[in-house]
Amino acid sequence: MDRELHICHLYYDILNLYGDNGNIRTLEKRLAWRGIGSKVTQLSFGEVNRDEDYDIIFIGGGQDFEQEILVKDLFDHKEQWLKEEIEKGTVILGICGGYQMLGKYYEAADGTRVDFLGGIDVYTTASDKRMIGNFAYEYTKENGETFPIVGFENHNGQTWLGDGVKPMGKIIKGYGNNGEDGTEGARYKNVFATYSHGPLLPKNARIADELLEIAYERKYGEQLPPLEHEMEDAALNDIRQQLGC
Amino acid sequence: MSARATIAVWAGKFTTKLLRLAGSGGTSLPGKVVLKICPDILGHLAKDVKIICVTGTNGKTTTCHIIRDMIEAEGKTVFCNDAGANLLGGVVSAFVGAATLGGKINTDYALLECDEAALKSIVEHFGNLDVTAVVTNVFRDQLDRYGEVLTTVNKIRAGLSQLPNVKLVLNADCSLTSSLSDLSHSEIHYFGVDGPLYEGTSSDISDAVYCIHCKTKYQYHYHTFGHLGGFYCEKCGYHRQEPEVALTKVIEWKDASSVVEMDVFGQKVEAEVMLPGGYNLYNALAATEVAHLLGLPNEQIVKVLGGLTTHFGRMEQVMLNNAPLHLVLVKNPAGFNEVLQFLIQQRPTGNIVFGLNDNYADGKDISWIYDVEFERLTQAASGAKHFYFTGKRAYDMQLRLKYADFDTTKFSVEKDYKTLITQLQQSGQETFLVLSYTCMLEFRDKLAEFVPLKKYDAS
Repeated sequence: MDRELHICHLYYDILNLYGDNGNIRTLEKRLAWRGIGSKVTQLSFGEVNRDEDYDIIFIGGGQDFEQEILVKDLFDHKEQWLKEEIEKGTVILGICGGYQMLGKYYEAADGTRVDFLGGIDVYTTASDKRMIGNFAYEYTKENGETFPIVGFENHNGQTWLGDGVKPMGKIIKGYGNNGEDGTEGARYKNVFATYSHGPLLPKNARIADELLEIAYERKYGEQLPPLEHEMEDAALNDIRQQLGC
Repeated sequence: MSARATIAVWAGKFTTKLLRLAGSGGTSLPGKVVLKICPDILGHLAKDVKIICVTGTNGKTTTCHIIRDMIEAEGKTVFCNDAGANLLGGVVSAFVGAATLGGKINTDYALLECDEAALKSIVEHFGNLDVTAVVTNVFRDQLDRYGEVLTTVNKIRAGLSQLPNVKLVLNADCSLTSSLSDLSHSEIHYFGVDGPLYEGTSSDISDAVYCIHCKTKYQYHYHTFGHLGGFYCEKCGYHRQEPEVALTKVIEWKDASSVVEMDVFGQKVEAEVMLPGGYNLYNALAATEVAHLLGLPNEQIVKVLGGLTTHFGRMEQVMLNNAPLHLVLVKNPAGFNEVLQFLIQQRPTGNIVFGLNDNYADGKDISWIYDVEFERLTQAASGAKHFYFTGKRAYDMQLRLKYADFDTTKFSVEKDYKTLITQLQQSGQETFLVLSYTCMLEFRDKLAEFVPLKKYDAS
């Protein structure tokens, strides 16, 4: 029984600042340690092969410079595919730039707008607030269970959630989406979008497993077997202690 | 010199004396005092000297040390700012320290290590003076401070634009650094490596994937490491320039040195560079180019390279109860990957300590450890006895290695340096300590209570 999840690392070569590759590594390992395989496909510019079936799509963060080149390719080659993936419930993780890009647009200080995918009901405005530092937020699962997520944010875009979208979490410490409404990130269907670098998944094993659980159950109709996360928790608790939360 | 400038110099010297009496090592305060009194003090003091500035992400301190040795080999005199004091205050302190009470500087050269973002504030008063500026490379480093790699390039550019007559010495293999060549008023020289440095080089660090001019993906004839190598853009034609000082061949890689063949302005030169690793070869090339421009003959250059002492490489060796401790500083992914390359060659059988802080100088965002390719070390380090993790973010570092498939049964976290040193001492094993900047400083302070240590020379 050779089970495997297929992960797409979108824009792997442009949106990969801040060690976001660590997120891919975490997914691969937390599957491998459960005896489940994974295949990672790196996608950059150009057409997407629609015969490929992805269980998880990951989009990281990047520099503004690269985001410009990206937008053209987004509309030329990725728009339809990504919107369909979002709507049909594929697990999608977007970090920082990747998060913003899934939203409707980015508005600069002078009012000019750059259109983004429009896949989730959020938009981002430029601000001169530099929202940077270790931060923490509370995530709530479907069953009401909550757990804290700790990461590092570094952005001056303020993201605002529309009606159709829930936040990914409630801010415990730091700024989050905009430093004003106490929300962090966005959740829509199986899209998980957040400003959290760190990288996000390694020490936040619960959210890593949440993504894997959803993707695995969608594909195989079975529950993902459990896996310990002691060392992950040790790292999480250590930074929580340092942050005083 | 104006009365105000003179008073500023006196105030600076007085402050330095006070600090020394108080036992403080702070090297930037005198500079700050001076600047308050006379903001354009550098314009006054720098008139008497030839200036060499070294900036860039990696290798500034090491390159400065080699250049200093080169200058002294020529029989000339030079003063430098202290390592770690590479912002405006530190540079001013160095000038004030070198000046007489009358504000005159009698040394031939001022050799200044300049932080990339501080470069403009340092050089803006140098105007038409005789300045040679070296840019070693641009890599991602402390992203949370600068925001982006391009911002770093632009800050360096802003600095260099202040100097109409500057002689530029640029890394030809770095597409980011080489883009500074359009500062057309400058005399431009290049150094670089003419072919791949290692077999199976990974080029996974993508600090510069897309052409800085037309945003097309770069092609490479070869890679050395990171984004450095024989880059070219098929669309707009931007490409690596031919360096006047080039590494043409590595004859032998040794533990603490490399025997190489270079081409120095058309002459074939063989030398042993007494520093380990590929990244140090770039530092040696940059210093060699500066030395040649200063008129040093090749035989002298070879002699200096052969006489470099390892305490200002990134490795410091200290004996702890007959077991050697090797202290290695890491500051960013490119540097860390080079250290891993070195460790792979060592096939260590003793202890390895990884220390990670997240203070301002280390980089507050520690995600960069996921850009370090520990996976390449897993196999070669499988014979190591024990892995220790220390520093404020020890647990994150431990987790990183779990995800790199290291043997977690050999792991322990020990944040208390005294306890850690005691454990290393008791193990009697050779230990490699790979530490981030402030972790290195803290650890050495504690280590000094156990064994005598030289004053720290941060490289």
